[in-house]
Amino acid sequence: MGQLVVNGLALGSIYALVALGLLLIFNTVQIVNFAQGQLLMLGAFIGISCAVTHELPVAAAWAITMVAMALVGIVFMVLVYFPLRGRPAFLVILTTIAMGIVLENLALIVWGPLPVSLPSPIHGPPLRFAGVVVSMHQIFIFVTLAVILLLQFFFLTKTRFGILMQATAQDLHTARLVGIPVNRTIAVAFAFGAVLSGIAGLLVAPIFLAEPTMGGSLGLKGFVVSVIGGFGNLPGAVIGGLFLGLIETFGARYISSNFRDAYAFVVMIAVLVAWPRGLFGEKSSEKV
Amino acid sequence: MRKALRWKAWPIIALSAAVALAVPVIAHDGYVIQLLNIAILNAIVVIGLNFATGWAGQINFGQAAFYGLGAYTTAIATKAGLPWIVTPFLSVIVVVVASLILGLPTMRLRTYYLAMTTIGFGEIIRLMIVHWEPVTGGTSGLRAIPGISIFGIGPQGQIQHYYLLIATLGLAVLIALRVRNSVLGRAMIATKDSEIAAEQSGVDTTRTKLLAFMIGAIYAGLAGCLYASSIRFISPDSFSGTQAILLMTMLIIGGMGSIAGCVVGAVALTILPEALRFLGQWYLVLYGLGVVAVIVLAPGGLASLASQVQPRRARLR
Repeated sequence: MGQLVVNGLALGSIYALVALGLLLIFNTVQIVNFAQGQLLMLGAFIGISCAVTHELPVAAAWAITMVAMALVGIVFMVLVYFPLRGRPAFLVILTTIAMGIVLENLALIVWGPLPVSLPSPIHGPPLRFAGVVVSMHQIFIFVTLAVILLLQFFFLTKTRFGILMQATAQDLHTARLVGIPVNRTIAVAFAFGAVLSGIAGLLVAPIFLAEPTMGGSLGLKGFVVSVIGGFGNLPGAVIGGLFLGLIETFGARYISSNFRDAYAFVVMIAVLVAWPRGLFGEKSSEKV
Repeated sequence: MRKALRWKAWPIIALSAAVALAVPVIAHDGYVIQLLNIAILNAIVVIGLNFATGWAGQINFGQAAFYGLGAYTTAIATKAGLPWIVTPFLSVIVVVVASLILGLPTMRLRTYYLAMTTIGFGEIIRLMIVHWEPVTGGTSGLRAIPGISIFGIGPQGQIQHYYLLIATLGLAVLIALRVRNSVLGRAMIATKDSEIAAEQSGVDTTRTKLLAFMIGAIYAGLAGCLYASSIRFISPDSFSGTQAILLMTMLIIGGMGSIAGCVVGAVALTILPEALRFLGQWYLVLYGLGVVAVIVLAPGGLASLASQVQPRRARLR
């Protein structure tokens, strides 16, 4: 039981990270990036290329992956966001899905279809409390999530740039009128969003193996979390992520592991039926 | 003006009908006809998708699941020994019930939430098909499904199926055109343009959206019924989330809201992957980039490129 809670929370932390990446982009430009899962996959594979293929230290692989993902995020913005500014959300959804298909198949061409493993940056014997085993990697996941949360909160509310970002999110045109470098702000949001999903990829790869098709289901879990928590709601994303991790782990153990991927959607639909804008509400207001 | 346009459209309609009827004469290859049969079925499903997405403006990634529900209902029923004639009705009942279950609670949701809910619905249906193995055959699917037969009479061979499916497609197009020009069709367009304005003009937008969604599901369910009994082999892959995205892409590439666009998009995107098989994995890379390019450069799809030519001609006159 306690073991399931720990495993569920570790899985949930990864979902929360995916959702946090989505949230950063959504809060700035009101776009939900359906290729976020494929960005995660890309992060995992860049890490593997560095750490496994080129045998760099894992810490160096992490650093390189984060820088590379920031660039990927900016390229993504230029290719997908700029041409579609002001278009209906529906077309944006399809474009990001299409970019996800491109990334997934490029990864299949470059890295092949076989699953690969990535070593964890932390080694050591697992901790045991009262029969519950917590691996060092799980502790590392919890710490990473906590640090990122603190950084993101601090960045968004206490730094000048974070406040500019929030202003851009509230009203892009007014932000531009008062002299906020809107494009630079948006670029930072995309870069950060991509880095966060890259980190999620680096964290997932040591637990499950990394393969080019891993992005689809992980990305969808990120959206489910965003929907449960309310799009753009920071505490919602974290609580929603942990909640989903627990539901999946317990559902797989006590109901049926075949339907593991279905629990997320069942919970999401149930939440939406009761609260059409998520448990914690949507941050942005509807623009008429 | 409208009449003039219709007159202009007649030669094109006649020409495309003639080409469609002549195809089996030219292409004897069973594989080509089989591919065209699938393309026609996809076209029917995409026309169905157009009701909810193209006209009423509601994103729907659940269409492949309705397609699958129709196909599996038919396959399971005929394999259990029921006469074929009951399967279209059974399929319709199943998809109507499913569309109510999905539609009633979700029709008030906005874009992203609706997209996610319909993706989730498709995924749940797919998982049920995959894991309910004794009945659905699991991932390996169902084989040797009994063919179409109405009191012992049914099409034999792929070419006869082809003509039957072309006729069904023609019927599907006619019904869609009738709906488009009815009160319901106008209500759908009004809902898409502005829900608030439509409500003000007395349109019950929730009911309109639900009906659009349900008609689309019936199209998909009947196409699924024909798929199972004309292709005679089904597997979950044909009705997965990837297929749902492909159906949506057909609609976008062809041109949302245009029935001709639906048909062109469905036929093109069914045949292209086979024609470009030599590209291997690169095909999917190009497919993704192509979708982005069409959305960015021609957001109305191929149909909008065609209609861009016409107003210019009118202006010249």
